[in-house]
Formats: sequence, structure tokens, C-alpha cells
Amino acid sequence: MEVSEKKTSATAARKIKKSNLYRDEHRAAFLFILIPVIGFILFSMIPFLISLYASFTDWNGIGQMNFIGLKNYQNLFQDKYFWQTLSNTFYMMIGIPIGLLISFLLASALSRKIVGKTIFRVIYYIPVVSSLAAISILWQWAYNGDFGLVNQVLDLVGIEGPNWLQNVSTVKPAIIIMAVWKGVGYSMLLYLAAIQSVPRTFYEAAELDGASAFQRFRYITWPMVKPITFFLIVTNIIGGSQLFTEVNIMTPTGGPQYASATVVWYLWRQAFSNWKMGYASAISVVLGIIIFIITALQFYMNRRSSYKLD
Amino acid sequence: MINRKRLFTTTVSIASILTLAACGGGGDAATDSGAASGDDSKTLTFMFRGGQDEQKAYESAIAAYETDNPGVDVEIIATDPDQYDTKLQASIAGNDIPDVFYIAQGDVMAYVDNGILMDITEEVENSDFDIANVWEFGIDSYRYDGKNVGEGNIYGLPKDVGPFALGYNKTMFEEMGIPLPDVDVPYTWDQFVEVGKQLTADTDGNGEVDQWANGFNVAWSLQAFVWSNGADFLNEDKTKVTVDTPEFAEALQYFADLQNVHELTPSIAQAQTLDTYQRWMNGEIGFFPVGPWDMSTYAGLDFEYDLIPWPAGSTGVPATFVGSLGIAVADSTEYKDEAIELAMYLSTSEEGQQQLVDAQIQIPNLIDMANEWAADTESVPNNKKEFLDIVSDYGRPMPAASTYTAEWYDEFFINIQPVLDGDQTAADYLKAVQPRMQELLDASIMQHEQAAK
Amino acid sequence: MIAPLLWMISTSLKDKSGVFSLPPQWIPDPFITDAYTRLFELDQLWSGVKNSIIVSFSVTIIGTITSSMAAFSFAKLRLPFKNMIFLLLLIGIMIPYPSIMIPQFVIFSKIGWVNTLLPLIVPGMFGNITMIFFLRQYLSNVPDSIVEAAKIDGANYFQIFSKLIVPAIKPAIAAQFILWFMGAWNDYLAPLLYLNSPEKQTLQVVIANLNASYAIQTDYPLIMAASVISLIPVLTIFIIFQKQIIESVALSAVKG
Repeated sequence: MEVSEKKTSATAARKIKKSNLYRDEHRAAFLFILIPVIGFILFSMIPFLISLYASFTDWNGIGQMNFIGLKNYQNLFQDKYFWQTLSNTFYMMIGIPIGLLISFLLASALSRKIVGKTIFRVIYYIPVVSSLAAISILWQWAYNGDFGLVNQVLDLVGIEGPNWLQNVSTVKPAIIIMAVWKGVGYSMLLYLAAIQSVPRTFYEAAELDGASAFQRFRYITWPMVKPITFFLIVTNIIGGSQLFTEVNIMTPTGGPQYASATVVWYLWRQAFSNWKMGYASAISVVLGIIIFIITALQFYMNRRSSYKLD
Repeated sequence: MINRKRLFTTTVSIASILTLAACGGGGDAATDSGAASGDDSKTLTFMFRGGQDEQKAYESAIAAYETDNPGVDVEIIATDPDQYDTKLQASIAGNDIPDVFYIAQGDVMAYVDNGILMDITEEVENSDFDIANVWEFGIDSYRYDGKNVGEGNIYGLPKDVGPFALGYNKTMFEEMGIPLPDVDVPYTWDQFVEVGKQLTADTDGNGEVDQWANGFNVAWSLQAFVWSNGADFLNEDKTKVTVDTPEFAEALQYFADLQNVHELTPSIAQAQTLDTYQRWMNGEIGFFPVGPWDMSTYAGLDFEYDLIPWPAGSTGVPATFVGSLGIAVADSTEYKDEAIELAMYLSTSEEGQQQLVDAQIQIPNLIDMANEWAADTESVPNNKKEFLDIVSDYGRPMPAASTYTAEWYDEFFINIQPVLDGDQTAADYLKAVQPRMQELLDASIMQHEQAAK
Repeated sequence: MIAPLLWMISTSLKDKSGVFSLPPQWIPDPFITDAYTRLFELDQLWSGVKNSIIVSFSVTIIGTITSSMAAFSFAKLRLPFKNMIFLLLLIGIMIPYPSIMIPQFVIFSKIGWVNTLLPLIVPGMFGNITMIFFLRQYLSNVPDSIVEAAKIDGANYFQIFSKLIVPAIKPAIAAQFILWFMGAWNDYLAPLLYLNSPEKQTLQVVIANLNASYAIQTDYPLIMAASVISLIPVLTIFIIFQKQIIESVALSAVKG
């Protein structure tokens, strides 16, 4: 810093310089995010606002929208199917931690130099790649009570498998298993990328210090991929809350006693089979709010435990 | 300075690429429609769903139509059946309704109330469309007088009528030495159980039952038992849910007992459609429902099958449902006469109907053609006439086809499994479910009244 | 793990009635490639593949650029209210699709984009919050000090982005590219709504349309054959790009 005789002007000059510095950065930062923000406004926010308005009307999807105030929301809170499907939806999220653990272990294994790793990666990835519709049809057959794949395998070990998709107590686990099967490749892929980002020097230093493979894994790899784990948990919860296509194909009527019906499946039905688009909009607003709160909470909790590499 | 400029330039260039793509694409769309209305040809859009055989049949009907109406082009929009309703509703919301499209029986009320369907009564009656030669059931399904379906003005023509008959495995009966069912006189319920017990057996002597009498799915077969026992889901003016009558309870209990008490059905498969379908096709089941759409697949079966009336309850008269799909014209269509003409072709053109029948997809909409087809008692199934009897005589529309929404009806099936498993009596269940169904029916009626304003 | 897929391939090689036979056949008998012949005779197959390629590539290539730029900003640059804006964008995927589906359709309908590929391409080009989120997380393992050092050295932000950031997050970009491509390729709900004419439809819509109203009439071998074929491009992209993920050089020693 130059020492100036005119102290005020110097201070002033410094102040201007400082805010200029950030101003440039602000501007750059802003321009960099401008396009997604515009996209969001055009393609998400505006339709959402329309849908929000619709939630206060009795819109049937093909006619006019007549304002009816909070009626949809009142009905919603008393709708036992709404609560049931909501609880179904959250129940099915049990698969998330299981899936993440499996895919993380797989990714660690496959990121080393083992024979045929590419083939393994491809194998685990194939389910992710296949179209949801084809997968759902396949699993519907696989779960068939009499001759489905799953029961055939169980038969080999002498277990008589239930009629998975028709049984109230087995239909949710059945869908969870399928979802985990499908998602493992997805998370594995991302973990593979994440594991690559861990600087080798850390491992080298740890080895020098005499750390075992397990210790290196636990104290270096796992914490370093925490940001990715956070990402996967957040996006999986958001995605899990919207489970629809699989349910619609495997249990088109919502499962035995609505045991596998998810919220989005339910609102889809209300919108397109029962002429209650306004009501469906209300359900999605409520779901959106719930998920937003959960996500915001996650971000808040994550703030404290995150750290930066410097 | 430089950094900002570079950044700015990048952002702007990307934005302009996007905009250009948008304009370019939008421009294409504009020129497309421009070209269409530019020359004298008119284009009608026809939206439907269906397999390849159906599509071929309709294409020939459309070809005939285009020959008779030069200057009109028909664009077919084929859709995945599962999403048909969604796509149609989206196109209505977006004001982009196809000129001619499929409509389900149960949707007529809602679509007419919201002004989507065109009233084609006059045109149909004044044309050379021979209403008398088309199944009354088919035509009436698309009549609506503002309050009830089945009477009033015509808002659509039948694409098909689908009688849901009962079939039996003739070869199985012959092998077991059981007298064949009578094609005219239905079994009584007791007789049906008796025959069922004879059919359910261990045919290869390995100690396990491998042949069963039936494997009905409650969603499609309960109606036959309910109705023939004198009960129904609704009262006559469709305002009250009447499932809690003793006759209804008797029918539902009988249905459940087929599995639990008499053990006439495969155990694990709780009548999930595909399960017992496949057993039937494998020749392991004695009785199974047959719709016209099944004929093409069943033609390849290892055994001979035939059709009989459903077993009759206390009324002594059999009953079953008839489904139907209709063809409607959009009220907003630009080319009214051409569109109605197209609908009539699709519904009743002789070439089209013949192709559909030959592909064994449906029974003909034209009565004379149907009679001719049924007169062939040599090919399997011999008793094709049963289909025709159902449509003209004892078949009824599904309960939800004549109400504004089907929500009250769906409610019935959501928690019915315990009854079918034998864990709850029919009477108890019906008593509990009736109020819930009634509530939903009332809500649906209210929806109807509001929409009709 | 791959049993259901083997089943898919096996079914595609059966004849129509073999699909429903009990007990289920693993090895088709008769073994016929008939379904594939029928598939390749289907005109729409080729137009479907073409349209899917157009949509999937345009969206992912442009979208990757816009998303990476935004991720850089969120992760490394200062901006007031940055985190709030980020959360706001995240809301975009929290809203169940069915409820914004119709309003979106109405909007696109009003500007005449129905029955074009545009509604499927343009929104994606503006960026994908999932990708942005992931890259932002990934960037937390890239030291801030690098960015600061570059700034002091006089680099402008764009240079920092292209010369420093992009190479550092190559594995992440590759991973997300694969997933996004696959998502776009397998999407069938939106294309189903927007595309009417057979020649505009994408591959997934073509496959979905092969379903008949009655399950019994559906030509399952054909559908399975089509699904197998539709797998191939995505799998190819995966095999190509997964090398990027593994073999790209991770940031080695950073002198802090």
C-alpha cells in the first residue's frame, strides 16, 4: 500500500479499488450462471406458478379454472390415500443408504487395477442405461409368484417365494430391490469419478506413516468423497420422492391395498383419470414444499461438516 | 476488461445460438403448417392407440376414405395406450386437439360437458350411415343428454364393442370325460362348483394338483356373478352405491369361496392377470374369460376352446360386461364434414371392418357382417354367436362407464384382497366400503354438476 | 445382476407365443431372429434413432458447457446470494413433473413448438441443475488457492475456467455427460406428449407405441428387440467416456 499524504483520498481510492475487485468477480459470476437461471425461470418457474395457481382452482385439466381457495388443501389433509402414499414414498427411500454403500464399495474396488474392470463396470452400468419401461416389464415378470426369476432362484435354495407384487408385505421391498439394482451403476459411476479426485499425495503420505489399506480407505477416501455422498443423498431423496414410472408399470393399480402407490403415482391418477388436475397440483405443491424443507435442512447440516481443500 | 468481454461474448453467443435454434425450429413449424394450408388439400389428424394389426386395418379404411374424398389428407397419430389419456388431455389444454380421436365410454360425459366433443347427431342421421345395422349398444354408449349416458344426442361412433364371454377348454373336458357345457343354458352356481371340482385334479399322478377349474381376476369377472344374482353396483339413476345388498354379498362371497373353500383356483397366483392367462394358455385351466381381442392369440393354442354363457345366479340369467371404445370428432375441428365422414368410415367401412375381423381383433360393428361371421360354426371358437348374444342381449356396460369419474368404483377394489384371501367376509367388507364409495360417488356427481354449468 | 437383461435378449429371440410359455424358457425354442427382421423393416426405427441422436447430443453438448460454467461460478466465485440462487435452481427438480407437464405443454403449444423436437432440446440447453450440483461438489476438492493464484497472475475468469477448472473436473464432466445423455436418450414421457408424427418421434416413443391396447396382442419379442437395440448407443457412449473418468489425470501435488 502506498502511503499517501491525502489520507482520505487514499482510503477512498482503496475502497473503490476493493469494491471494483469484487464487482468484476460478481459480474463474471453472474454471467456464468445467467443462462441456467434464465432457463429455470422460463421452463420451471413459470409452469410452476401456473400449477400453483391451478392448485387453488377446481381445474379438471380440460376446462376452465375456477378459483376455490384453499379447498384442495383442506381435502388433501383429510385424504387418507394422500398420507398413505406419502408414507409409502418415504418408506421406499430406505433403499438409498443401502444403494449408496454398495455402489461406493463397488467403485472403490473397480477403481484399482483389477482384471476385467471395464467389463465389470459395464455390467453394473447396464441396468442404469436400459430404458425404465423395459426394466419395469422385466422385473414384473421376474417377480411373478409362480415362475418369475426371483422365485426360481429362491427355489434353488429351497425357499418358496411369495407372489411379490401382489402381497402387501412384499411389494414395497420388491420395488426397493429393483430400484437399488437400477441405481447402483449410477452412483458407482459418480463415485468412480470422485475417487479419482483424491490427490495421490495423500495416500502416499499415509502409506509412509504406516496406515493400512482400510485406514487409508476410512480416513482419506471416504471423507474426501463426502461432497459426492452429499450430492447423491440429496438428489436421491429428491428423485425418490418422485418415484412414478416403475410403480405405474409394475403395479398399475397401486399395488395390493395401495401398498406400493407413491405420491406422484397418486397425483397422476387424480389428474388424468379422475379429472382433478387442480387437486393434483395441490398435492404436488405440498410435496414440493416437504422436499424443499428436507433439502434445505440437509444443506444447513452439511455446511458445518464441510471443509475445503486448501 | 478483456476477461469481461470474453465472458460476455461467450454468454451472448450461446444465448444467440439458442435463440437461433428456437427461431429456426419455430420457423420450420410455421412453414410446415403454412404449406399445409397453402395448397387446397385439407389435413385431418386422427389420434388413436393400438397394435400394428389395428393400425394396418385403419390404414386401409383411411385409404378408402381418401379415395372417396380427394383433397383430404389424414395424418395418423399413434400413441402408447398407457399414455393416451394424458396426451389427449394435454392437447386439449394446449388447444391442439386432433380432429378425430378415440374416446372411452367413461369419458364421454366429461368431454361433452367441457365442450370438447361435437354433436354429430344430425349429420349421422342425415347421411347414408345405416344406424340400424350397427350394434345399438355401440351407438348408445356415445349418446348423452347432459345428464346420463345412453340416451340423447350422438357424440361419437363405436370403434368396437367388446363382449367379455366365458370360454372353456373343450379338450380338457373331453380328456376328463366330463359332459360338455351347454351353449345355451348357463350353469347354476352349484353346478359350476361341481364341475369345477371334477376339473381340479392331479392329472399326472405326482401328488400335486396341476389342473384347476378357473382363475378369475376379480376386476373383470366379478360383475358377471353380481349381476346374474340380481345385484348391482349402483341404483337405477346412478346416485346410490348398492354394494351392501345381500345378493351382492352372496355373489362376492361365492367368488371368494371358489378359491378359498372349494380350492378351484391355483393357490399362489391370486388371479393376477398374466399368471392365470398363461396357465390357461398352457391348458391347465378349465374356464377362462375370452374377449374378441384374444382370438388371434388363442388361435395358436394346443387345445380347442369354445364359448358359453357365464354361470347364472339366482336370476337364472347370465350377465357380463361389454366394453367399448368410441371415435369422436372435436368440436373445434376446422373441417366438420370431412371429420365426421372420417369417423363414419373408421367405424363402419366394410373394408376396415373386414380386415379387423380377419386379424381377429374385434367383432364387426356391422350387424349383418357379424351374423355372417358367427354363422361359421366350424372354426374355433364354434360358438361365436355367444359374443353377439352378449352385445345384443345380456351384456351391460361397466358400472363406471355411466358415471362422471371412476374413483368410487376404483375404491371398491383397493382393499378387496382380504376378502379374496378368506380373511374377511364379503358382507363385512361391503358394509365398510359402501360409505366410502358413496362419498366418492357423491363427489363425482358434484363435479359433474359443476362442469355441466 | 444382468439376468433381467439376458431375459430381454432371450425374449427378443422368441416367437410370439413362446413369450408366455410356462415354465419360462431361457433358451428360445424356436430360436428366431424374426423380431429383429421385423424391427429393421420398421421405417420408424431409423427415424427414431435419428431423432433420438439429435435430441440427446444437442442437449448434452451445449448443456454441458452451460452447466460447467455455472458450476464454476457457484463453487469458486463470489456472488451475493449465491447459495440462495443455487437452492432456488434446485427447486426445479423438486417439483413433480406431472404438475408442470401440462403448463409447460400449454406454453410450448402457444408458441407452436408441438410436434417439433424443440421442447425436448431447448430447455436442456440452458443447463441441468443436477450436473451443476455435482460439479460444484466435485470442485470442492479443487483448491481455491489455484483460482486465487491464477487471478493474481492476471488470468481472466474465462481463462481460469477453460484452462484450469475444466481439466480438473474432466472425470466429473465425463460422468455427468454419460448420465445426462442416457437420461435424454431414455426419456419417453415428454417426447410422447410433444411428438405426433411418426417421423418426428424419438426411439423410445416408437418402442412405446409398439404396445397394443391389450397386453395379449403386444408383440413382446419386437419390443424387446427394439429395447436391446436402443441400449447400444448409450452403452457405446459409456464405454468411450468411462475411460475419461478413470484415466484422466487427477490433480497431483499442489504446492499450497
